[in-house]
Amino acid sequence: MTTVDLPMPLLGTDGVPRASQPQNAKEYASGQEVRWCPGCGDYSVLKAVQGVLPELGLRRENIAFISGIGCSSRFPYYLETYGMHSIHGRAPAIATGLAASRPDLSVWVVTGDGDALSIGGNHLIHAMRRNVNLTILLFNNRIYGLTKGQYSPTSEAGKVTKSTPMGSVDQPFNPVSLALGAEATFVARSIDSDRKHLTGVLRAAAAHRGTALLEIFQNCPIFNDDAFAALKDRDQAAETIVPLVHGEPVRFGVDRRLGVLRRADGSVHVAPVGPHNEADVVVHDAHADDPTAAFALSRLTSPGQMVCAPIGVFRQVQRPTYDDQARAQVDVSRDRHGAGDLQDLVDGTDAWTVEPPLTNPTTPAQTVRTEENR
Amino acid sequence: MTYVIAQPCIDVMDRSCVDECPVDCIVEGDRMLVIDPDECVDCGACMPVCPVSAIYGEDELPAEWSSYLELNATQSQR
Amino acid sequence: MFMALSAHVEPSRELDRVVIRFAGDSGDGMQLTGDRFTQDAALFGNDLATLPDFPAEIRAPQGTVLGVSSFQVHIADHDILTPGDRPDVLVAMNPAALKAHVGDLAPGATLVVDRHDFTPRNLTKVGFAINPLDDGSLDHLSVHVVDMTTITVEAVKHLGLSRKDAARAKNMFALGLVSWLYGREVAGTEAFLRQKFAARPTIRDANVTALRAGWSFGETTESFAVSYTVKPAETAPGRYRNITGNTALAYGLVAAGRISGLPVFLGAYPITPASDILHILSTLKHFGVTTFQAEDEIAAIGAALGASYGGSLGVTTTSGPGLALKAETVGLAVMLELPLVIVDVQRGGPSTGLPTKTEQADLLMAIHGRNGESPLPVVAPRSPADCFDAAVEAARIAITQRTPVVLLSDGYLANGSEPWRLPDVSTLEPIEPRFAELGSEEFQPYARHPDTLARPWAPPGIAGLEHRIGGLEKQHLTGDISYGPDNHDLMTRTRQAKIDAVAIQIASTEVDDPTGDARLLVIGWGSTYGPIGAGVRRVRRLGHRVAQVHVRHLNPLPKDLGAVLARYDRVVCPEMNLGQLATLLRDRYLVDVQRLTSVRGMPFGAEQLQDELLAHLDQLTHREMP
Repeated sequence: MTTVDLPMPLLGTDGVPRASQPQNAKEYASGQEVRWCPGCGDYSVLKAVQGVLPELGLRRENIAFISGIGCSSRFPYYLETYGMHSIHGRAPAIATGLAASRPDLSVWVVTGDGDALSIGGNHLIHAMRRNVNLTILLFNNRIYGLTKGQYSPTSEAGKVTKSTPMGSVDQPFNPVSLALGAEATFVARSIDSDRKHLTGVLRAAAAHRGTALLEIFQNCPIFNDDAFAALKDRDQAAETIVPLVHGEPVRFGVDRRLGVLRRADGSVHVAPVGPHNEADVVVHDAHADDPTAAFALSRLTSPGQMVCAPIGVFRQVQRPTYDDQARAQVDVSRDRHGAGDLQDLVDGTDAWTVEPPLTNPTTPAQTVRTEENR
Repeated sequence: MTYVIAQPCIDVMDRSCVDECPVDCIVEGDRMLVIDPDECVDCGACMPVCPVSAIYGEDELPAEWSSYLELNATQSQR
Repeated sequence: MFMALSAHVEPSRELDRVVIRFAGDSGDGMQLTGDRFTQDAALFGNDLATLPDFPAEIRAPQGTVLGVSSFQVHIADHDILTPGDRPDVLVAMNPAALKAHVGDLAPGATLVVDRHDFTPRNLTKVGFAINPLDDGSLDHLSVHVVDMTTITVEAVKHLGLSRKDAARAKNMFALGLVSWLYGREVAGTEAFLRQKFAARPTIRDANVTALRAGWSFGETTESFAVSYTVKPAETAPGRYRNITGNTALAYGLVAAGRISGLPVFLGAYPITPASDILHILSTLKHFGVTTFQAEDEIAAIGAALGASYGGSLGVTTTSGPGLALKAETVGLAVMLELPLVIVDVQRGGPSTGLPTKTEQADLLMAIHGRNGESPLPVVAPRSPADCFDAAVEAARIAITQRTPVVLLSDGYLANGSEPWRLPDVSTLEPIEPRFAELGSEEFQPYARHPDTLARPWAPPGIAGLEHRIGGLEKQHLTGDISYGPDNHDLMTRTRQAKIDAVAIQIASTEVDDPTGDARLLVIGWGSTYGPIGAGVRRVRRLGHRVAQVHVRHLNPLPKDLGAVLARYDRVVCPEMNLGQLATLLRDRYLVDVQRLTSVRGMPFGAEQLQDELLAHLDQLTHREMP
C-alpha cells in the first residue's frame, strides 16, 4: 500500500459530529427489555458503556454498534444508537466495511471469546493488523453461554464441560497476547465488576484512533460462575490484580508489597519488593513502539485457573489507520485524475468508430462465405 | 432502572443477596439491606435468592412500598 | 466447407472469417500475443470473439501438455457469436502445444510451428516417439515450419540480451508473422510495446525488433506465398472498443455507482477468474470506489454488507468456492434486506475444480444455496460486453428492492472479449436509492413499499431513525426480534413475495422465432448465448425452423416464460452443467424440458449444438409418423 503522507486524525472520535446538548445515560437506553441471565456480568458492562457514551459528546445517531453471535452480542439491542446484531464471528469484518466507508461514525464491535477468538478469529486479528478505527469490546467469560456451556478458546486446559466430560485438552488463548502479536495498536483489559476501572479503560479505548481491543473479564453465573473469583474477591483482589498505569512502576498487593520485575531473558515475574530491588520494578510504558514489554506483562495472566492478571492499558501507540489511509488514497486519486468521467472510462483509449454507410450495405460478392464454427 | 429492597427485609437481613450481587452494590441500611441505585446494573441476580421476596425491580415495586425507592437511595449513600 | 487456406498462387485472398489459435508454453506469452492480435483486429473493424485457455498453475512444468496455454481468436467481416469451434490456423510454439491442439485442426488447416523446441528430449516429454514434423502425420495440413526462436535471437543479438531474454521475444515474432499473413499492420502493437516496456528499453527494443522480424519473415519468405485479408465487419454505426467480461463488469459497477449517486465499496478476496474485477476497480478510486482486499471470502462480503449498511453500494466478487463460503452472510443480507451485489464468476467443478475453465454449475447454489427460505434475485450476462449492462441491472434491483443480488458471470465471459458498442452513459436510467427520511410517525424499519415490498434503507447518521437490525427474525413493521410462529410465516412469505415482485419490473421474454411457427425452442442462459446462437443459425441455414430464448433473469423468471415454453412442442436447454436451469423450468412450469449438457470446462461448440438440435428436430418429425 502506498503510504499517503497526509495529516491523519488523532482521536478515535475525530470526524464524528458532536452533539449540541449534553447527554445522559438514560438517552442511550433503548427501552428494549434486557434479557441476560440474572447476575450476568454483561449488565455491568452495559451500564458502564451507557455511562461513557454520553461523555463522548457525539451525536447519538452517529454511533453504531455491531455485534456477532453469543450472549454479549445482544448488546446493540439495548443501546439507543444504530446497531446490527450480525452473524457468528463476522462483526469485525462488517464493522470494517462500515468504518472504512463512513468516517463520520463511531463504530463499536461487541463480541465474546467464542465469537471473536474461535469462529471469528481471522477477522479479529486482521482488523487489529489493519488498525481499522474500531473499538472492540471482547467479553471474555471463558465459556460458551448461549449454546449452554461448552468450553471456549479461553477456557483453561482440563475444563470439564458438556462437550468435554473428560476435560478439555487444548491450550487456551491469552487474548491480550494474541492482540499484541497481531500488531494491535491499543490493547487493554478490565473487569466487569470494577465499574470505575472499566469506565476509565472504555474512555481510553474510545479515544484511540485505530483498533482498540478491550478484553473484559466477564462472569457467567450460569455456566462458568466464579471463573474470575480470585480477582473479584475483596480479600484476595489486592494480591491477584496487577494494575497497569502508564509511566508508573508496576506495584500491587497489600501495602504495595509486590512488584513486577524483569528477568535477564526479558520475561517478567512477580516478587516481593523491598529497598533492595525497588529500583528494578518494571515501569509500565504503554506507548513503547516495541510491543515486547507489553507482551511480557500479558504473560503474567494465569493460563489455567485465574489467580493473577494485569488490568489496564497494555499498549497504546499511534499508527495510521486502514480506513484513514484508504480514504486518503481516494483523495489522492481524485487529485491526480479528477472526479472520474464515466464516459471517458467506458470509451477507453483504443475505441474506433464505425461510420454510417453512405449507401445500403451490400455483401461483398468476392468474399468466400463459410459456415461459422465448423 | 434499579432494583429496590422493600419492607419484608426489615430485621431479616439474610444477606444471600449480598453474596449474589456481582457489583457489590447491596449494603446495610437501618435494620435492613439497601441497594445503591447508582451502582446497581439491573442484572436481577439478587431478586430470586431473597428468602422473604423483599426485592423488586423499580418498575414493579408495589405501590404501598414506593417510598423504599428513595429510602434505598439515601441509606446506601451513608 | 473448409477455409481455403492451403497454398494458392494469388498473393492475397479475401476471407469472410478466420479462427486463429496461438498455443505455447504457459511462459511463452501466448495470452499477450492473442490479446494484441485481437486489439489490432478490433481496431481494424473486424467482428471478433476470443477464448483464452490457460492452466491453473502460474508456471506449469515447462514443455508439458499440462503447461500449454492458448488463445483463440475468431475474426470476421460479419457478425459472429463465438470464438469458433476449430482453428483455421494454429501457431504452435513447442511440441506440447502441437500435441495438445493438433487434433482440433481440420484437413487443410494451416499450422505454423516453431521448430526450435522439437528436440528428442522435448518430443519424448510429451509422448512423440517420432518427430511429427518428419513422419508425415501432418500431411493433411498446410504446414509452415520456422525456427522462430533462433531467428528471434539472431535478430535481437545487437541488443546484448542474455540468450534466455532474447528468446522470450519469440512470441512477438509469431505475432508479426501472423499479422503479415492476415495483412495486419503492427504499428498498434509497437506502440503498445513501447508503452508497456518504457522502463526497460532493451526489452522494449527486443520485442519491437522481433515483431518486425516476424512480419518481414512472412513478406520475404517463399514459404508463405499467399496472404489473406478479412475485411472489416459491417456493424451498426457507433463507437466501439474490444472488451473482456471482467472489465465490462467492473465498469458496470462504476456506472451503477454513478447513476445511483452511491459510493461503491468492493470487498473481495483474490480468486480466479474473478480477481481482475478487483484489480480494475482498485485503479478507479477517483470514481469514489473503495476496494478492500479482505482476509477471506467471508470478510469480503461482510465488509461489503457493512458498507451497504452505511449507505454505499456494497459489492463482493468471487467464484464458486467463494460463494459457498459467503453463503451465511448472503443469508444475513437477505434478513437485513440491504442492497448488495454478489458477483460469482463461475469456474469448473466442485471444490477447487478447474479454476481457469468455465462452467455454469453454480446456478442452483446461487438461487437456493442458503439455510432457510432465503430468496434473492439472480441475473446473468450473455456475452463479455453484456457484463456491463448486467452489472447495472443487478445493482438496480439490489438498490431498489433492498436485497442481495447474485450476478452470475463465468470464466468464458470473464476472459473472453468482443467488440462493445459503447453506450452513451448519459442515457443510463438513474437508480434512486430513496433513503429513509424522518417522518412524523415513529420510524418502522420493516414497513414496506406497497408495490415493491422493499423496506426503508436507513443508514446511520439520521437522528430519530436509530434502530437495531440483525439476523434474528424480525417483527413485521417494527423490526424488533420476534419468534412468533405467525410472524415468521408472514415474514418468510413476504421476503419471497418481495423477490417475486422483481418480475414486474423486468422485460417480457424476447423470442427469436423468425417464421413464428417453429416447433423446437432452444432456451439458455449466460455465456451459452453465443454458441447457442451460432448453432441455431446453422440449423436455420439447413432449412429448419427453430426458436431461441435466452434468459437474463434466472430468479425470478420472466412472468411470461411459462406461456412461451408452452407454445413449443419441444424445449431444449443447453447448459454447461448437468441441467440446472432445465430442473428449474421443469419444476416451475411442468414442461418436459430436454437437457443438453456439457461440463468440459469449455464453451459448447456450434457444430455440437447443430447436431444435437438436428437430432431433436428429427425426433419431432418421426414421433408423428404413423
